[in-house]
Formats: sequence, structure tokens, C-alpha cells
Amino acid sequence: MPTPRPWPQAVETVITTEAGLNLDPLIDIRMEALVQPGDTVALGRPVLKDRRRPELLVTAPMGGRVVQLELGAGRRQASLLIQHDEKVRPHQFDVRDARRECERGSGGPALRDLLQASGMWMRFRSRPFGRVPAGYAVPALIMVMAIDTKPLAPDPCLALKGETLDHLKLGLQALATLFDGPIRFCQDDGPAIVEESDRIRIARAGPLHPAGLAGSFLRREFRSGQNLNIWEISAEDVVGIGHLLSEGFLPATRLVSVAGPGLRETRLVRCQPGADLRELCHAHMKPGPHTILSGSALDGREARWLGWRARQVTVLERRDTKPQPHWLESALRRASRPEPVIATSAVEHALGGAMPGMALLRALAIGDDETAAELGALSLLEEDLALVDYVTAASPRFADLLRACLDRIEAMT
Amino acid sequence: MIRGIWNRETVAMVWVAAALPLAVTWLLAEGSAGAIRLLFVLIVGGVCQAMFTVIRAQRPSLAGLVSALLIAMLAPQVGPLQFALGVAFGFVFGELVFGGWGRSVLSPAVVAIMFLGFAFPAAAWPHLPVQIEWAVFPAVVLLLAFGVLPWRALAGAVLVLVIAGGFALPPFGSAVAVVLVFIVCDPAICATSPLGRWLAGALFGLLFALFGSVWQASAVQMAVCAALLVSLSIPLLDELAIAVWRLSGRFRHG
Repeated sequence: MPTPRPWPQAVETVITTEAGLNLDPLIDIRMEALVQPGDTVALGRPVLKDRRRPELLVTAPMGGRVVQLELGAGRRQASLLIQHDEKVRPHQFDVRDARRECERGSGGPALRDLLQASGMWMRFRSRPFGRVPAGYAVPALIMVMAIDTKPLAPDPCLALKGETLDHLKLGLQALATLFDGPIRFCQDDGPAIVEESDRIRIARAGPLHPAGLAGSFLRREFRSGQNLNIWEISAEDVVGIGHLLSEGFLPATRLVSVAGPGLRETRLVRCQPGADLRELCHAHMKPGPHTILSGSALDGREARWLGWRARQVTVLERRDTKPQPHWLESALRRASRPEPVIATSAVEHALGGAMPGMALLRALAIGDDETAAELGALSLLEEDLALVDYVTAASPRFADLLRACLDRIEAMT
Repeated sequence: MIRGIWNRETVAMVWVAAALPLAVTWLLAEGSAGAIRLLFVLIVGGVCQAMFTVIRAQRPSLAGLVSALLIAMLAPQVGPLQFALGVAFGFVFGELVFGGWGRSVLSPAVVAIMFLGFAFPAAAWPHLPVQIEWAVFPAVVLLLAFGVLPWRALAGAVLVLVIAGGFALPPFGSAVAVVLVFIVCDPAICATSPLGRWLAGALFGLLFALFGSVWQASAVQMAVCAALLVSLSIPLLDELAIAVWRLSGRFRHG
């Protein structure tokens, strides 16, 4: 699937009339509703909170009226529907204490409180295991991802221009206030976006997937067996933190690419988090049945709302009419063990090198958690193996095997 | 979500395509005797694969065609019953009991050929015509272009063979070319780490050079013996590569 070059220069701002919640399945929280259907919420007001860790809040992605809020099985799922109302002003946070801490550059309880109250804390993802870090946790390293090499993903640099650069600087300063370790700013081969300092170092990668994944950066710099506690956050969310600190309210939109073979044209839009994907795509679809994925074609999920961390929407043509397989073929498929993966250079490239990848894949395939952890599985998340799954058409998917392995290791610790 | 095409059978198809020029050249040189021999191996190997398909629901692989060709080309000359036994032994105990192509440690061709070689030491080893070596070149180009051939193993072996030959760049001979490309560099058998692949290739070159200097035997026998020893040592070489990787990480980040 070739990336369209050049991308359309014009970025439309689209606020869909409805928005929902599509949480990452890794954000394992037991939700408690803080609003009722019929309430009016402002952008940034809390909507849901975690019962076990009350500092984790989900805030409203836009101002409007709550039409529906239902909690699903085990309070793990929520179906939230908000109707847009442009008359509702965004919620103003009190950011004076947090700003003072940023200027002093040390400590940061007020800043932590602000990030947690505004829901920006939920934008962090920690490794190993890929969960949202606990409210009191301190990372060893924060990676700021200003590069995205997934197919049809927008160039994050497009969102880092003009006054957002000032917000980015302020956001990075805020990150540096949160903890004492180093910050890696991961970007493409182009000119430096931010200035390097003793805390902030720039790491670069080429344009070929999987070079731009946080896992690939990590593997180049660190080896397995270390007690990793690494957080990642996208550059646009750092801009959001800067925006929050300077303006006092959350940014209303994020940059999203709407692309794929099912569309007549490729678009770059700025829409609210949790935007309605059908409304985003509807007017631009080719005729015929489609699948709308939140995320890339490699690791996206079919969804109605824009995903929690998704910055792209992929529309694929759906092929429902598969020919009936021969009875022996289907009997074999059900009875046989999955086919092994042959170590070709396609697999080697998909693994990104710099680690014994095939050995890791074999350890995952046989469920040998100890060897997998030794070979670096703890520094990986599902997205790092999505390209291997694509290339080899492996079944079961290595991404799922990795998640099962990580879950078992997490349960033991 | 989209799925790619490089599953096991796609690789096996490229593997078979690469062996086609070899098969044609060999059949042109050997004539009808060769064709009958190849057909015989194909039938025996096919029966074995079919039995595992029916009894153990283990999918057959196209790579079996290449193994059959290699056995027909390289196995020593024995009677038909012994030959059938050897071929069946190679397919079943070399590959099928481990789960088929991609899960086994050894190539069924190596197991069958060495089984016959050890069982019948007096049997005559075949002599490969010189044009076979030239048929290996298009195979190498095709396999490299599709990224199926582990080029590090090939480079390691060629490097050691050239050095051992005193930089005279002699043609390596048909036996070495065929065994190196289709048995040592079999992507399902060969080492998977970059260092392991260099070592596997170099080990093959070293063993062949050693056999050539101390052992008065046919080139085919020496090459297949070297390939068997290399295949058996590949798990060790991979472990070695992982140990080196671990150590280098320790030194990089204290």
C-alpha cells in the first residue's frame, strides 16, 4: 500500500457531530461514570474514572450533551456518545501552580495533578506491558514520538509548525519537570525540530517501517534483560500538554489522516479525539462494501470511533465473498498445527534487525516466556510485531502471542 | 486488516522455481535413467507426505520436490528396494516426524543420502556433470532477488573456499555448488541470526576444504558429509550468536 506523496497540503478541520469513546484494550480500567445521560459536558471535563486508580480519568473529547453512557461487562467497556454543541466553552483548568513548577524545573506534584485531572496522563504508555502508568510512577526514560512510519500515517511534523512549536517546547519542559531522567525526541532524518539539551536528546530513524516505532528506537539503544521502565507519548500529545499549560484548556483537535484503497481521495483532517469515523469517511468512499479501521492497515481495528491513540483512519475494501474451500483443505486447516515461519529477508526486515528476532518468534510460538523475555520480548508491544504478522500472514498472529506472553509475565510479577 | 504473502508455501514455491534450471540441466545430462530415478523418488516422497497428511493432518510442502530432486541427483547408486527404504527414511525421519518443512533440523535430502552412504559404503557415488554448476547461478540470482537465500551463509562459505583454495579462484565444482546452495543455504534449515549464518557458511567451507585435503572420496560424498555436520551444528551456532549478542549488550550499557 504505497504512501501517497505528496500529502494534500490543506488540512481541513472537521468536528463530527457525534463523538464516542474507543479506548485501547490495553487500558484496562474498571470504569465508574461521572456524568449522566442528558448532562452537558465541556471539553476536558471528566466523564469516567477508574475505580481502582481514581487518578486515571477519561475526559470529554468535545463540548456537548451526553446522549448515551452505558457500562459494559465487568465495567471494562463503556459506550459513550456525546453530541456536539459548539456553544459549550472548553473547561478552564487552573494551571498556575503547574506553570510555576515548570519554570522552577523541579518536583511536580501540581503538574501531575493537572495532567491527571485533564486526562492527559492517559496518553502515556509504559513499557513493559504497554499500560497507562500509575499516578505516582516515575519512568527511567520518556520517548517523545515525532515520527510515524506506519503505512498511510500522517507525518507528525505537519502538526509541529508555527505556534505549536512553542507549545511543544513548553510540553517538553513539563515532561522534564515530571522526572529526572533523559528524554528521547524521536524524529525523522530531516532538520532538528527541537534543540538538544542535556536532558533532551534527538534520535533519528529512516522513513521505512518499522524504523519509526518506539520499539525499534528502543532496540537500537537498549538491550533486553534490563529493568526497563520507559514511557512513550506522541509529540502531538506533548503539544497538547504545552497547550494546556499555556492556554488553560485542552486542544480540541488532533491531526488524522483518512486514507486507504476504499477512498476516492486521501485527506488530512484535524478532528476531535473519538471522532465519528463514518462521518469522516462517508462523503469520500468508493462505491461498494468497506471496512473502516481506526489505525493503520497493519494493526488497526474495525471501529466506529477514532481510537484512543490512533492518528489515522484506513478504509479498506471488504471482500465478503470468499470461495468455499475444498473439504480436505478446510479439514486440514482445522486439524493441523500452524505453518512455521521461514526466515527470509522479508521477515528479517520486518523485525528491524538488532536482535535475534527469529529466535524470539520461535520462543513466542511455543510459549516459552522465559526465553522470550531474555530475547527482548519485554521491550516489545503488539505494534512492533504487526509487520511480521503482515509479511508472513502468520496464524495465530505473533502480536497476539506476544500479548499472551506479556500477560503471563505480568501476572507473575 | 491486510495480510501479506510470504507464508511457508510462497517461500517453497520460490525454492522450487530456483531448482527448475538445475532439474532441467541434470535431466538433459542424465537422460531417461535420471528421469526414472527422479520419478521414483518423487513417488516415494509423495507417499510419505500423503501418509502424514492423512494420518497427522500435516500439510505437505512443495519444498519436498526440491528434496526429491537432490536425492535423485546426489544419492549413491543402490538397488531399488534399498533406495526406496533410504528415501522413505530420509523423508520421514529427516523432516516429517518433526512437523514438516520449516520445523526440522535436517534436510530430508541429507538424511536420505547419508543413510544410503553409511548403509552401503561400497555403493558408487554419482559424478555430477560440469554444466550443473552453471545451472546453480540462475538459482542463486533468483533466490537472492526474492530474499530467500541467506546470503551471509553463502558469502561465508565462498570466502573460506576461496581462501582455502589459495586465492586461485578455481571453479568449486558442481557438487559443492549444489550442496551449498540447496542444502546448507536452505532457509528452513540454515541458522537464523546474522552471525550464525556467517559461521555456518564458513564451517561448511572449512569442513569441505579439510575433507578435500585428507580424504580420497567423491566430491559429492565430501560435500554432503560437510553439509550434514553443518546442519547438526546450526543450533549450537545460533546459541553462540545469541550469547555474543547478550554479551555485547552488557558491555554497551554497563
